[in-house]
Amino acid sequence: MSKLRGAVVGFGKLGLLHAGLINGLPGSTLSAVVESSRLVQKIVGKQFENVEVFSTVNELVSDNKPDFAIIATPTGSHITIAETLVRANVPILIEKPLALNSREAIPLTIALAENWVPNMVGYMGRYIDTFSKAAQLIQQEVLGSVRMIRSSMYIEQLLKPGEGWRYDPNLSGGGVLITQNSHLIDKLRWIFGEIIEVSGNTTKLVSLDVEDHVHSYLKFESGAVGYMDASWSARHFRTPTISIHVQGDYGTLDVNDDEVRLYLDSPKLGYSGGWTNWQKPDLYRPVPLDIGGTQYTLQMLEFLNAVTNHTDVQSNVASGLKTQKIIDAIYESSRNGGAPVKLVSK
Amino acid sequence: MNRLLLPRIVLGHNAFFGVDHLSTKRGADRAAHFSDVKNVVAIVNEAVVSGAGGLMLSTHPKAAVICRAIQSDPSLVSQLEIFPLLPYAQKYVTRANELGLIRVVTQTLAEASLRDKIGLGSDFLRTVFRRDPLDMVKALMRLELQIFKKLNVSTVFLHDAISDLILALNMPQIFSLYESTLRKRFGTHYGVATKNLPLLVRRFQEWDLELPVVLTHVNKIGFHVNPSLKECEDALQNPDLTVMAMGTLASGFLTPNEAYQYVNRFSSVKSIVVGASTVGHVHATFDAARNSMRLVNK
Repeated sequence: MSKLRGAVVGFGKLGLLHAGLINGLPGSTLSAVVESSRLVQKIVGKQFENVEVFSTVNELVSDNKPDFAIIATPTGSHITIAETLVRANVPILIEKPLALNSREAIPLTIALAENWVPNMVGYMGRYIDTFSKAAQLIQQEVLGSVRMIRSSMYIEQLLKPGEGWRYDPNLSGGGVLITQNSHLIDKLRWIFGEIIEVSGNTTKLVSLDVEDHVHSYLKFESGAVGYMDASWSARHFRTPTISIHVQGDYGTLDVNDDEVRLYLDSPKLGYSGGWTNWQKPDLYRPVPLDIGGTQYTLQMLEFLNAVTNHTDVQSNVASGLKTQKIIDAIYESSRNGGAPVKLVSK
Repeated sequence: MNRLLLPRIVLGHNAFFGVDHLSTKRGADRAAHFSDVKNVVAIVNEAVVSGAGGLMLSTHPKAAVICRAIQSDPSLVSQLEIFPLLPYAQKYVTRANELGLIRVVTQTLAEASLRDKIGLGSDFLRTVFRRDPLDMVKALMRLELQIFKKLNVSTVFLHDAISDLILALNMPQIFSLYESTLRKRFGTHYGVATKNLPLLVRRFQEWDLELPVVLTHVNKIGFHVNPSLKECEDALQNPDLTVMAMGTLASGFLTPNEAYQYVNRFSSVKSIVVGASTVGHVHATFDAARNSMRLVNK
């Protein structure tokens, strides 16, 4: 069977990582790069064999249509690029977040309704071993019903006003809430089900135009309640650090990037009473190729499988849009002094 | 170049910089403790007494302070071989969130040119403006290796975040450039870190390039071992391979004795790198390593 030919649109840090995976995994090969920077075009043209370089996605689809494409450009350009690719029948993996806001994503949802192709939004946190284990435990209902969820995302990234597209709301959609913290919102939805009401506040700590801190009360469709707290101006957090604490009928669950800790009042579903811990080495799943974290590989493998079999994935555009609506609702709530905003879940 | 002899035991740097692959919280606590360089030097001294012949040191922003502290002790300089690991990837990754990848590189070089242009040579600034990618790689290497100039360095390792990307993208020219720059400019061997050992061995055979010294995870539970434990174990039998084993304790998941008994099965493993954060930890780990390992002694 011939290899799937993949294109990468936007050749920055994540574009490069995805390009490596596409080229290094056995079932696919990097065929093209779309990039507006002349310097990057020059580097790719000179250093990469058998890879075509284009300035626009329109040139890509007319000159060398790939079997799939990864979109890793600044957020504000995702939808236009994705729509072009979908209408040209090219399956897409869009880096998170999906769009600047949920309204902006409408043309893409229309394009997919008219011409469905496999589509994915890159919430790679779903493939981190500890969070996969936590999701499995909650889905098994080891804790019974989930009652309360406390969650946070912190990183020391910005201690003075930042430069670049991520700090321009016209290009990024906002600050920490829509960028790193969209991973936490996606994880909460994935593990605990849909969020139906938020009440949030966003605060500028160091930035001039975007929020550096967000705090939101959350109400879930399941009846669970909780909150999330996030900042990218949090000292002592070397890497993005997500932690979730859960209280259920029968015990508690704590999960972060390093470990899962389950506490049960009494034995349930084969798990003993008291504490059970899983650390990263317990849960490690080897991958055919690891570049910068197995979660990226597992995500890419699921996407390539969907491309091959023309099937859907869990973290698709429809799911990414739901995460986007929660982000919109928290911004709206914050503009109104934290007033509750209800979401329609279906 | 003569056949390389590696020290059997090399002290790892992760605890000093707050890197902990098992616990982010523990990592942050250690970073606080080791923010005082005296605490780092105390561990380094204890490690040397307990048999460490080397120190792995990434080009973390705090590495310069540690280098200066070692330099100020001539006996440490003579007893300790330094193994730079470059670049400290997280420094560039976090900064790239702000500037984008290309601007991180050009801005890092431009800042260094203005700050240290005499130290780095007069052609450095020209490199930045000419923007030739291979020249930029060489300039970055010079910048990153500056802090090690007065120390005893025989091998420089390339971080797995970079080397695994280069392996995947099938770019032998980058490894060749890295090897020749180290050999000609710094007179050192070249080392490559990887989380994909069988892929590395296969690619270097395809490219007909001499295998570098390899820094890779070796542990019986297969933590950070890809694509499978079996394939990595087979690759470790390669007689042409010289390996410095890392992750032998699987971030503290395995006891030193069981970890080193496993490592001992592979004749390609000439050296292990292991971290320690307290004096007690140095003794427990290094004594076990010394007693149970039959690695080539320097």
